[in-house]
Amino acid sequence: MITARSLPTFVVTFAVAYAIFYVLSVEYNLALFTYHPALEEFGFLVEQAKDGPAMYWYGWLATSAISAFVLAALTSWLPEGWAKRLWPGWSWAAPVSVMFVFVYILRRFFLR
Amino acid sequence: MIVALLILHGLLAVALLGAITHQTISVWAPMRGAAGSFVGRMRAVPAKSYVNAIVVLYALTALLGGIIYPTYRLSVRIVLEQMQLYVPNGAFELKEHFVALGLGVLPAYWYFWREPQTAEHTRTRAVLTALLAFIVWWGFLVGHVLNNIRGFDL
Repeated sequence: MITARSLPTFVVTFAVAYAIFYVLSVEYNLALFTYHPALEEFGFLVEQAKDGPAMYWYGWLATSAISAFVLAALTSWLPEGWAKRLWPGWSWAAPVSVMFVFVYILRRFFLR
Repeated sequence: MIVALLILHGLLAVALLGAITHQTISVWAPMRGAAGSFVGRMRAVPAKSYVNAIVVLYALTALLGGIIYPTYRLSVRIVLEQMQLYVPNGAFELKEHFVALGLGVLPAYWYFWREPQTAEHTRTRAVLTALLAFIVWWGFLVGHVLNNIRGFDL
């Protein structure tokens, strides 16, 4: 259970874990589900494109959100002493770092 | 239907843009004295009063964007690829990832703006606000350019 005392640990861990899980989900295509927009069909986990393109973005969001929630809930049970040492700035430093990673991953669009 | 959703998505984005911009200005350049000018009044707004609106608007705008995204994927992105418009295509790819990362930041943003606001979290609040402002501005400008790409002579 997430209490008021453990909330800062939860939100900081969630922000960090979500950013890391998201970039891993994108890079290794770990989508929890696939959407086929032309067919208006959902498929469990990663499916190849059928009639038209396959969309994995929703699945990446789900993978990241669920994984980060579980990890953040687990870390919010850690002792208070450990939680106090957790730098709140990780909540922005991790997402900003991952944003730079995406700029690097997608550089091919801008360097042609 | 999809046009109505796109317009609603744009209107929500405008409201979000206004809220996050006011909050960011008031956090990074707060008004010390009396606010007499237009800019001064922007700097003097109570930053905390925008938090819940920003969280709700961000979530709703992202949700609507997610609903209309398949239409973009089928009708717009394929055309961009065929026309070899790599920069707009890449800018939208970045938008999709930045907005997704912003969703993960929202709980921390909301928490650090909650009462009681301790001085030790001042920088965290300021940077989280600036981060969300950058994401919202990026998303808005990229969406605007793509929506009107025929007029940009690209």
